Amino acid sequence: MDISERLNVPSTGEEIEPFLEVTPQLVQQRRSQGRIIFDRFIRNRAAIVGAIFLILLFLFCFVGPLVTTHNQPDQIHVTDVAQTLAGPSWQFPFGTDDTGRDMMARAMAGGQVSLLIALISMFMAVIVGVSIGAFAGFYGGIIDTLLMRFTDVILSVPLYLLLFVLSASFTDGSPKSVILLISFFGWQYAARLVRGEFLSLREREYVLAARTIGAKGFRIMFRHILPNAAGPIIVNATLLIGVNIILESVMSYFGFGIKPPNSSWGTLVSDGQGFFDVDPLLLMVPALLIFFTVLSVNLVGDGLRDALDPYMTER
Amino acid sequence: MGENLLEVQDLKLYFKVKAGKVRAVDGVSFTIKPGEKLGVVGESGCGKSVTALSIMRLIPQPPGEYAGGSVLFEDQDLLDVPESAMRKIRGGQIGMIFQDPMTCLNPTMTVGKQIGEGLRIHLKLSGDQALKRAIALLEQVGIPDAATRVNSYPHQFSGGMRQRVMIAIALACNPKLLIADEPTTALDVTVQAQILELINGVCSEFGTAVMLITHDLGVVAGMTDRVVVMYAGKVVETAPTGELFANPRHPYTLGLLASVPRLDEKRHSELRTIEGAPPDLLSPPPGCPFMPRCAFARAICRTMPPLELVAGNSSHLKACWVNVTDPNEQAYADRRRKARLEATQVAISTSADVTLQQTS
Amino acid sequence: MAETLVGSKTLLDIRDLKMYFPLTRGIVLQRVIGYVRAVDGISFTIEQGQTLGLVGESGSGKTTIGRTIVRLYKPTEGQIIFDNQDLAQMGGEHLREIRRRVQMVFQDPFASLNPRFTIGSLIAEPMHIYNIGSSSEIREKTSELLSVVGLRPEYINRYPHEFSGGQRQRIAVARALSINPEFIVLDEPVSALDVSVRAQVLNLLQRLQNQFNLTYLFVSHDLSVVRHVADRIAVMYLGRIVELADRDELYAAPKHPYTQALLSSIPIPDPQIEKRRHRIILSGDLPSSINIPSGCRFHTRCPMAQQICREVDPIFERKEGREHYAACHFSEEVRPV
Repeated sequence: MDISERLNVPSTGEEIEPFLEVTPQLVQQRRSQGRIIFDRFIRNRAAIVGAIFLILLFLFCFVGPLVTTHNQPDQIHVTDVAQTLAGPSWQFPFGTDDTGRDMMARAMAGGQVSLLIALISMFMAVIVGVSIGAFAGFYGGIIDTLLMRFTDVILSVPLYLLLFVLSASFTDGSPKSVILLISFFGWQYAARLVRGEFLSLREREYVLAARTIGAKGFRIMFRHILPNAAGPIIVNATLLIGVNIILESVMSYFGFGIKPPNSSWGTLVSDGQGFFDVDPLLLMVPALLIFFTVLSVNLVGDGLRDALDPYMTER
Repeated sequence: MGENLLEVQDLKLYFKVKAGKVRAVDGVSFTIKPGEKLGVVGESGCGKSVTALSIMRLIPQPPGEYAGGSVLFEDQDLLDVPESAMRKIRGGQIGMIFQDPMTCLNPTMTVGKQIGEGLRIHLKLSGDQALKRAIALLEQVGIPDAATRVNSYPHQFSGGMRQRVMIAIALACNPKLLIADEPTTALDVTVQAQILELINGVCSEFGTAVMLITHDLGVVAGMTDRVVVMYAGKVVETAPTGELFANPRHPYTLGLLASVPRLDEKRHSELRTIEGAPPDLLSPPPGCPFMPRCAFARAICRTMPPLELVAGNSSHLKACWVNVTDPNEQAYADRRRKARLEATQVAISTSADVTLQQTS
Repeated sequence: MAETLVGSKTLLDIRDLKMYFPLTRGIVLQRVIGYVRAVDGISFTIEQGQTLGLVGESGSGKTTIGRTIVRLYKPTEGQIIFDNQDLAQMGGEHLREIRRRVQMVFQDPFASLNPRFTIGSLIAEPMHIYNIGSSSEIREKTSELLSVVGLRPEYINRYPHEFSGGQRQRIAVARALSINPEFIVLDEPVSALDVSVRAQVLNLLQRLQNQFNLTYLFVSHDLSVVRHVADRIAVMYLGRIVELADRDELYAAPKHPYTQALLSSIPIPDPQIEKRRHRIILSGDLPSSINIPSGCRFHTRCPMAQQICREVDPIFERKEGREHYAACHFSEEVRPV
């Protein structure tokens, strides 16, 4: 019952043109890696909520003062003592503080300082951490030992204690000095992480392949290895923003960070604390802003961690 | 019916992914008689491992999804039995060994305990009895000094020894069928020879049927009674081992046999190749999946050929419209190969020119 | 070792190469507690335009040799003489210049191509590193290379994950070729590929060898593949070469029991032959290269081992036949398979 017999050999069927492809067409244009990561991030609801909140928060703090009238945080709007510490109203949605200043304007201005400090010190910490970690992990040996022991030493110091001691003598209460201080204590985890990544990635075949084509150290470190270590670094950086916001608030709360005339969410909490029984809003507004910001940052960080998973399948 | 130990009929297993369905196993049928040794050959991604796992119902669902067919094991459809009964069959009636023994052995348990586990569950042996049987099994699979080695942990064994332990675990309850999924791929040639010899010897002794899954035609040739050749989730040819190698009837089988350099043959300057790569199972070509790479292809190949008996042979099946032994067909195939080669040269030079013009 | 034949030129001459990896313990003060003797005194030569096949099981040190020759590792001892210059202790710019002429293709094309690069930039990178030509010339050469290895030049901006294994290995070959090397170390170039695709890549490699007069060191565990591509074959066991001979002679008249066992354990896709074959099945596994057995390294698994094998390390010496070397006390007694 051979089918070709039934069809009366040799005319199995009409002849067709020879197959011309050098290689089979790539079946479909696959999604790029960036696209895969984005798709996976989008599917994480919590991360999306966090991301949207962060965007709104940035608009609130940085665009808010430009488009609303809440742009005079230091202006004393109410001079009548009976009218200070007012609750929410159309004129002052977050009320006024003990000296009659607009709380909404103060929250926006404080947010600018807090967020900028968190972001800039994150960037500085990541740059320092990545450089140190990259050198330690890539070159290994004595360089690695020295850099990593130094990192360990800094990590083993009680953070807040040293932070307070140092800030008392080294900072002048300006955002710049606080940024320097926070970033000095933020790079160690990034350094450890990057070192670990570099240690494992430098043995990868594509890194060996780069060496055999004569690539030099810097090219291998920053063109071949770093992009492949980007995932964990980005996640770490995101989470570091949250840590920095809290650090800044704590320092400012205890009076070691931002000092008047500057203000941040930390100083607002500190200011509002004394009036908690009279007007809880003064404390709650900055405290909730800090809380939700840190929560959102962590949600986004978790979402990125999943999306950037190196063992990703194309699902 | 009844004479077959395992009868897989038109089995379909698809994986649901974002872009659609991957037809990993797409209408596979074959049988295994008691004590028979069946080889399943194919490239990676042809569905041979998924077939084995879906027989054992070890594919997680989702993303896996049975889309039809049946798996009759001793006339009982394994796709219908409840999970509790399936657990008894796995390890009790059907044993399985995998490519990488290290991932299948629990690193925190001694090998004796791991062998004994199955015995205690399926044969209800006491701890002492199980240990005695474990030692006997280890001796049988050729592990020296079994009485002391039974208390060792998997990491204390070498790769070949671990695979021996896996075989001991798989055979502990005297299963009727042993499914070996690329059992020697991770091992060196000299160790591969040891393990194949062992599987062959032990299974013949116990009368266990074997389903040996491999990509290596050489392994199949020495070990099996019958061979199933798979391509792109489908069975394309099946025949008794001797018949398949002496008289291959599917162009893919022909191509596979010709493209492997062989120790026993005169060395050719160029190997005959199968051009191209296997199809994407997400959107397989209509008709015969091998058609895009096949020199014998005709217009009729755009419809899928059925798996039918080869003329004049009662046990040789192929899924191909073409009679590859026909000289006319061979001449046609040669002509197409040559035309392709020439067209390729032209295509390369013109496309290189075009790209150059675009970029400069 | 092998005398230079008339009319051919020795391109690579390895002399008594040793590569030991120290085993250390301790975090701050590291102590060396032993050595992995991955390559333990190896000598061979490769003539220009030839292919030397280097065969061995995993753990035999064959990959380490390949990597040491391209100087991914600095050898512990010995010389790597490439075109009359010793690479072994070379460094800096000098080494970089030589590296241009010595390239490598790795085993796993899924691991050896950086996933963040397009295939165009992967192939062009060596040319950028060595500043060969303007960027338009480099682009031109890149698409030319793609068609040389049988890929469509339009793919230049695609990423490696869009290609199949065979296609990726073609990309890796194109990359190695981009700076016109004379010598290429092929480290198991087809063992990660599917059977039906292997032949394509093997044919490609052979075509390129003829076209560009390349010299290959072909590292593999698969004797049947090596037989297909190599002119001369070296068989390695536990860090040493145990036998070195011309291809046909090695298969027809092996002079070392390990070669014999390897040959006999390769399955042949023919049931008739398989039934008739007499298999020599070695017992046990490869010993660890930290504790290498005394005497002949193979004696723990050798079916012919005698007392002398446990005590005296056999010399790697010339045996009967054309340029045939082996390290065995009883090489006359080894029978062809």
